[in-house]
Amino acid sequence: MCAGNSLYTNPKPCKHLADCKLRHGFNGYDSLQNCLKTTPNGRARVDKHNTKIPRCNFCNGSQGRLYICLICSSISCSSHILLHTQFEKGHEVAVDLERSELYCCLCRDQVYDPDFDKVVVSKQVKDLPGGSKSNGFEGCCERSSKRKRLNSGIGLDLKKSKLLISMRDRRAKSCYPLGLRGLNNLGSTCFMNSVLQALLHAPPLRNYFLSDRHNSVQCRKRSGEKVCLLCDIDALYSAMFSGDRTPYSPAHFLYSWWHHSSNLASYEEQDAHEFFISVLDVIHEKESKMLSSSKDDGDCQCIAHRAFYGLLRSDVTCISCGFSSTTYDPCVDISLNLDMSNLSPSDVTNKPIKPDEKTVVSTVSGCLNLFTRAEKLGSDQKLHCQNCQELRDSSKQLSIRRLPLVLCLHIKRVEHSLVRKMLRKIDQYLQFPFSLDMTPYLSSSITRNKFGNRIFSFEYENSDSCAEYEIFSVIAHSGMLESGHYVTYLRLKNQWYKCDDAWVSEVNEGIVRASQCYMLFYVQKPLFYKANEDMRCVRTSPCRDLFSSTAGCS
Amino acid sequence: MKHSVNRPPTPDAAEDQGKEPTLQEIINIKLIESGEKERLMELLRERLIDCGWKDEMKAICRAYIKKKGRNNVTVDDLVHLITPKGRASVPDNVKADLLQRIRTFLMSAAL
Repeated sequence: MCAGNSLYTNPKPCKHLADCKLRHGFNGYDSLQNCLKTTPNGRARVDKHNTKIPRCNFCNGSQGRLYICLICSSISCSSHILLHTQFEKGHEVAVDLERSELYCCLCRDQVYDPDFDKVVVSKQVKDLPGGSKSNGFEGCCERSSKRKRLNSGIGLDLKKSKLLISMRDRRAKSCYPLGLRGLNNLGSTCFMNSVLQALLHAPPLRNYFLSDRHNSVQCRKRSGEKVCLLCDIDALYSAMFSGDRTPYSPAHFLYSWWHHSSNLASYEEQDAHEFFISVLDVIHEKESKMLSSSKDDGDCQCIAHRAFYGLLRSDVTCISCGFSSTTYDPCVDISLNLDMSNLSPSDVTNKPIKPDEKTVVSTVSGCLNLFTRAEKLGSDQKLHCQNCQELRDSSKQLSIRRLPLVLCLHIKRVEHSLVRKMLRKIDQYLQFPFSLDMTPYLSSSITRNKFGNRIFSFEYENSDSCAEYEIFSVIAHSGMLESGHYVTYLRLKNQWYKCDDAWVSEVNEGIVRASQCYMLFYVQKPLFYKANEDMRCVRTSPCRDLFSSTAGCS
Repeated sequence: MKHSVNRPPTPDAAEDQGKEPTLQEIINIKLIESGEKERLMELLRERLIDCGWKDEMKAICRAYIKKKGRNNVTVDDLVHLITPKGRASVPDNVKADLLQRIRTFLMSAAL
């Protein structure tokens, strides 16, 4: 399991700092703690004397970077800090006044110490208006008992599903992976086909249904209902993974779904994302009836929530005093606005920016940055600040408190055109990665940023859940708002396939990258690699019944 | 005659402070004492983030670190690298706005 961000490791204190700590302990840190002042936007400064301007002992200058010695508290500027070390033996470590960062004069570089950062952050938290009530620095108080091992139970039944579907294909050398099959269009149902293709290959759902976790016989016995969408999904899985390559007509499933979402029952072209949400809704409703539990969504054990449940955190901060309040909202996907302001990185490093050379390249990371950026709410949206006790200008920031197993990114491509007073489709091309690291968008990362990227960990950060994702499906849209077409691209064993209703074909990854993506499906890395391991064998026996015992493959 | 007799008097640190502070220093002191400098710094930081200047500097630093190797770069190197580029690439509208605010402050402080 990947624990935390594998690209970054916390730096260790340099040996001079380590020596200094051995000799003087935390005396320097503690005496400095009282002089730390926090600005409303979260920076910590060292301020010994409120009124006097800090000046360098050697040149009396007050410009540039000033450092205060950890041992004797004398102040030097960056040009003269070395002199201080030469005059006073053992005074090797200093603190940058403006930024509260450690500086080692012998290494001539900034150094880091988790103990120092702990001191700084605890002072900052103490100083926050409202004390520890404000903001979610709940990392300190929250117990880690809520560790959810979401993938427990989902991966364990792989052995059973392997048994049921493993049969070597003796006819063809190169064969399509398991489960790849076209879906017939039953009358503007490409919105449904595209989402079904993506769901069919979502590893948690695939494992769940293929290991017979929803048995239709037992289901009918238990609930006595004639129509059960889960049974229909189960039947769909059986059909799609049977090994039969002729296109399948999901008529029964469509009929079932119409039953449940009668408001959407028509032959009109509909929105794939709306369909996706509606299917998850129906699955949840049905399963929670069966499980007869009224737990909140976070503990819900229905397959829809086990796969897609995530938690968003929203921090609203008062601009005047810094008091912030936090709320949590569950979600099954993330809807992103297109980021129109991005510069492609090559422009920045090679030459100076000229206004006419800016190219608008939208990327998923740009959209996620936009999503998690602190946004100033307009002055017509003043909120009541508990600390100031009146309406104040505030800023709002979203972050992800808990990541789902399967991450669905929905790109908002519809906007209200004020000019024409109608809905308009945004065709802007969006660049998306095949591997996605969600660490910078986690609540823990956003909160760390607020405190100046200090080194500390939250109790609720668990290393079981991975923040690294691999893409496995893309739903692309082409055409106009009212009359467009959806196709799904699937990534199986590092080969991309295009599922255009009944037509399935192998495609180059270039085609996928160039498509106009509407929904992106990512799964946590370990699940992705595990799922791809099991797709080795293809079943071609004429018998369609998955549950009959077959001769094992050698 | 011993050289030590003819040696010019050692410049005294205390005497140096007796020199007249320059206009720049006076303005600086006034800005800090009134707390205006802190406010202006915060405003400047916000503007530089909004216009993408901070991201540009970050990208330049990253590229440099990638080239030199993570363990061969110090804070001083980075400061020397981006200070000239940074000063040159501050957008004109940000400069104009800050100057205007300083002027306004000085006019009110002189009264």
